Amino acid sequence: MTMRKSILLLAALFTVPASAQLPGLRRRAPAPPAVVQNPIDVVRADFAAQTGGTTVYFAPGSAQLTPQARMILQRQAMWLRQHPGVAVRVEGHGDPTDTRDHALALGAERAAEARDYLVLLGTPAAQVSTMTWGKERPGPPSAMTTIQDLGGAPPVPAAG
Amino acid sequence: MILRSLGAAVLFAAAFLSAPTQAAQPGRPAATVIAIPPLTSPDTGKKGNEMLALAWQVTGLIADDLRQTAEVMPLAPDRNDYYSYPQVTAPTFSVWRGKGAKALITGFVQSRPDGRLTVGCYVYDVEAGRELGRKGFVVVPADLRRAAHKCSGLAYQAITGSPGMFDTRIAYVAETGAPEARVKRIAIMDSDGYNHKYLTPGGTTVLTPRLAPHAARLAYVSFQDGIPQVRIINLDTGEQRPLLPGSAMTFAPRYSPDGSKIVFSMMLGANSDIYVVGANGGPPQRLTTSPAIDTDPSFSPDGSKIVFESDRSGTQQLYVMDANGANQRRITFTTAAYSSPEWSPDGKFIAFTWRMADTRRIGIMEPDGTGEKILTAGPRDEGPSWAASSREIVFQRTEAAGRPAIYRVTLDGSAARRMTIPQDGSDPNWSGTMD
Repeated sequence: MTMRKSILLLAALFTVPASAQLPGLRRRAPAPPAVVQNPIDVVRADFAAQTGGTTVYFAPGSAQLTPQARMILQRQAMWLRQHPGVAVRVEGHGDPTDTRDHALALGAERAAEARDYLVLLGTPAAQVSTMTWGKERPGPPSAMTTIQDLGGAPPVPAAG
Repeated sequence: MILRSLGAAVLFAAAFLSAPTQAAQPGRPAATVIAIPPLTSPDTGKKGNEMLALAWQVTGLIADDLRQTAEVMPLAPDRNDYYSYPQVTAPTFSVWRGKGAKALITGFVQSRPDGRLTVGCYVYDVEAGRELGRKGFVVVPADLRRAAHKCSGLAYQAITGSPGMFDTRIAYVAETGAPEARVKRIAIMDSDGYNHKYLTPGGTTVLTPRLAPHAARLAYVSFQDGIPQVRIINLDTGEQRPLLPGSAMTFAPRYSPDGSKIVFSMMLGANSDIYVVGANGGPPQRLTTSPAIDTDPSFSPDGSKIVFESDRSGTQQLYVMDANGANQRRITFTTAAYSSPEWSPDGKFIAFTWRMADTRRIGIMEPDGTGEKILTAGPRDEGPSWAASSREIVFQRTEAAGRPAIYRVTLDGSAARRMTIPQDGSDPNWSGTMD
């Protein structure tokens, strides 16, 4: 789990430069002094804190959302509705004991199931993309879905 | 192509030796002994000495090639067995009978005014005292190894009836770095390990290189645009392009036996299905529609059928369908999971990854699902790919430290052998014979 932390990730700014649009930012302002924090990290931290987790887990071989996964996704959907300028990407992971291509397909299926649930809960489809890592990232035996940076240039750190 | 066939007529006199055909059967370890006295040269003087030195290299390469097979056992080349140029086509069979050889290779290397070399080689049935085949090539000196591989292939085919796998390439994913930050590059080498090179730079995760039949093109999966997508490399020019335009996730590519089509998996929402598209592009045609995961398609050698894996029954099993998607039928029915099938070049077998709990092994079966035979012990073997000979399989074995390596295993039941590569490797793929 902790090993995985470094690669799980969250939401990214969707070319929204004005941090003021994101109410969470100011509340979380007392960051370590003298460190200029990248706004994207602030948004990520807020997303993680508000939703109770960026990752949902599946049973081996399965792409069915568990009740626990649905709970996390419900909170994610709520947060995403409050932050329409933020785009997210769901990254699916296959099982490490799988063969290469089946792991890719299973990861993609898991990502799609999580995304479809977010959309079902009212998240605009354009706000959520998906991808699969197959078994290319080490992780726990039961695979996981993460919500991740959409890529592109990270937002410029707020001046001062 | 640099290799040019000299004698248009390759004389395969329905080239089976009498005893050796036994050795060709899996599970029969008896190998055909073949003599390879040093190749000679018609050149004289200083040039002659140069050519004899090259001929000795070719001799060694042929012996090395054949020593790697289960079916042919070369006698160690001996410089004392030198013969003259006219004896290339008139060998003294009694000498070789006396040494226990059933077959014999002779040949020559000759210089040409344009700086290239002529290489000729001849294969004989020693007991019957007759020629089984001959081949000649004009090559630049740098391609002398390939000419030697072609000679090895001539001998192997004369003895076993199967094309050799000597003048072939193996593509794979070269892996370096820590487990959580693997750097993956597509690499390619001749099947004897020479001419090793990297085709992608390493900043992007890449997977599953799959060579076109004569190894002039390579399809693979790249994450360069953030999602897995099939790309094509032209190995002659180095040019690359995506297989399809657009932003769909595509993976598991494989060429058709004639190289004209590529069959692959594409995600449509949460659904992975199998599609086929022209190797040069065009609209993809959908072949499966099951809501389950259908992936890892592989053509039969005549191009009429496709084997693939699907979990539509609840577990991963193998299915065969017509090349247009019709007549899908299941061929495996056990409690194990079956995946990553590949049809053998001779059409007789399908290789697959067999999985039970966390143990993965490589196996083969006949295309109707009968005659299952597990070839490797595992516990973490996967991704079989056939040699052109249909008698050997290359696959990935993840070793105890979690590091993937590339192994070869023959169908005769002998232990798998680790290939020597410059770093860790995964997803190996073996080409057909090059032109």
